[in-house]
Amino acid sequence: MPNFENKTDERLLWVKFLDGDDQVLSSIYLEHSHSLFDYGCRFTNDRDLVKDCIQEVFCNLIKMRSRLSETDNIKFYLLTSTKREIIRALKKSSKKIYAEDDFDYSFELLLNKNIDQQDAEFDEGKQVALAVALGMLTDRQKEAIYLRFNKGLEYDEISAILNLNYQSSRALIHRAIEKLRSLIRLEEAKFTQVLLSMFTSNNKSVI
Amino acid sequence: MDKYKNFSESDFLDDHYFLQWLTYRSAEDEEIWMDFLKSYPSKVQIVRAAESIFNLLRVREREMNLPEQFELWNRIRIESVTSEKNVWVKLVKYAAVLICVFCSGALSFYLYQDKPIPVYNRVIGSVTFEDSTKKYSNLKALLILSDGSKIPLERQLSKISYNYSGNQLVVNQDTIKQEAGFNSGFLNRVSIPYGKKSIIELSDGTKVWLNAGSQIAFPTVFSGAFRKVELKGEAFFEVAKNAERPFLVETCDQVVHVVGTKFNVSAYPEDKFVQTVLQEGKVSLEIRDKKLLKKDHFIEMDPDQMIELDKESKEIFRSVVDASKYIMWRDDILEFNKIDLGKALKQIERFYDIQITLADPKIALYKLSGKLDLKENPEDVLNVIKLTVPIAWRKTNKNFKLTEK
Repeated sequence: MPNFENKTDERLLWVKFLDGDDQVLSSIYLEHSHSLFDYGCRFTNDRDLVKDCIQEVFCNLIKMRSRLSETDNIKFYLLTSTKREIIRALKKSSKKIYAEDDFDYSFELLLNKNIDQQDAEFDEGKQVALAVALGMLTDRQKEAIYLRFNKGLEYDEISAILNLNYQSSRALIHRAIEKLRSLIRLEEAKFTQVLLSMFTSNNKSVI
Repeated sequence: MDKYKNFSESDFLDDHYFLQWLTYRSAEDEEIWMDFLKSYPSKVQIVRAAESIFNLLRVREREMNLPEQFELWNRIRIESVTSEKNVWVKLVKYAAVLICVFCSGALSFYLYQDKPIPVYNRVIGSVTFEDSTKKYSNLKALLILSDGSKIPLERQLSKISYNYSGNQLVVNQDTIKQEAGFNSGFLNRVSIPYGKKSIIELSDGTKVWLNAGSQIAFPTVFSGAFRKVELKGEAFFEVAKNAERPFLVETCDQVVHVVGTKFNVSAYPEDKFVQTVLQEGKVSLEIRDKKLLKKDHFIEMDPDQMIELDKESKEIFRSVVDASKYIMWRDDILEFNKIDLGKALKQIERFYDIQITLADPKIALYKLSGKLDLKENPEDVLNVIKLTVPIAWRKTNKNFKLTEK
């Protein structure tokens, strides 16, 4: 049973942690640390900042253990906390004053290193096209796609992290997929040239 | 599954179970979805299209490197020790342990070295093994527990056995209690130098025969979706059946996925090939291709098959073999069928911890067939080889020099 589906296991692990079991925390760290690190690195290039934030997240877990509630979704909890810490750190380091939800952060979705490429026709041309296509998505769309397809979060979880309602987060992802699909269809009609002309005329920079 | 028959591409991409299948590719899910496609072949194109989109949308994730991941954990531990004294009192003694060996998901091993080195630089495994000009192994025979304590393995054949909960293990005649504490998510490792062997029984009942010049790392207790161990060198596995938790053997160039089965993996860093031989059951080999833009691919194996992976070219050679011949090393017997003498000599070197040099490199290409009983001493073994191959040998200390006859 894949672990992100095994809600009972997750709940038990967490309960053990809340009860004072320390062994569990190292397992939780090992299970999630790389995933959180990758998520964090999409907001900033500063690896040290990302690591500091992960440290903050785990130390807070320990400090506030008695005040935490039960959950069957450690992954979601950790992702949310990590993002919160990162945004907080980015706000601080930017030295400006921001209103509560005002902060405009960027989200990076590198294309060139896609895993599991099944299509034999996944050539350089398509790579470039996709990079451009993803570059045309908004940061929110990119983050939504990432949370859905890399982290496997549900729409209600994505809404919570992105501060949107359920319908909006679904629509966000659907629109992004449509955009990508139409660009892939274009590929069949020698899209590379079309894309290049779009690229120069739109003056957008490729990722 | 019937509801899927009317799904469009977008519907699939919206569906939780569809995404779960593509993300984890568990054996169960594969079966369910393959059955679905067999019953509704008109959906194949749509499913494949949705799969393409999924693959495009899912990006490769970055990881911290090992020292980073370890050091971060250390910081977390230390900070929590200083802020919550009473809860963590029993952990203070762990903070005082000089070395905390730590390995997770990546491919390098940490081992002890004689010179003092800052903890996050102890990438000793790669220093020792990737130097292919070295004939001797600098490994010490050691079992390192998850809390960092070292247990030397004195015997020629060490037996290590973990109990189900991981809080107790037996090393040869001694029973050792492990505290299920802060570090038990961390790995244990066994290293066996040339001249020795080890049998390890893991907490899930899996048995591992570790050959000379090899290292293996594994958690005290398996948790999570997979049971994963990391191997450098050669080992034979008798995996305890657990369909819920596939067993993975990770080496530098490939990962073996099993459910319950018996197989041998030979992945010595100095060898050109990684060799996997299946005796019983079924495995999937995941071949890692480190070049960007190329996917990892999976190869299915049936019993009495051998897969050899050329580490450089990534070429794969499949052959049908008598698997039992490839695991006789467990009983100190080697059996060959027209093998290059050079390869045979390498195995003999590891077994006895001796050095064999060839006066003429073409000796390495002579073909050797037959059985060698390694319970004899190396001189007798070389004499047996002399019967079928035109060589002469001469010994100085631990060095054997072979010349053409």
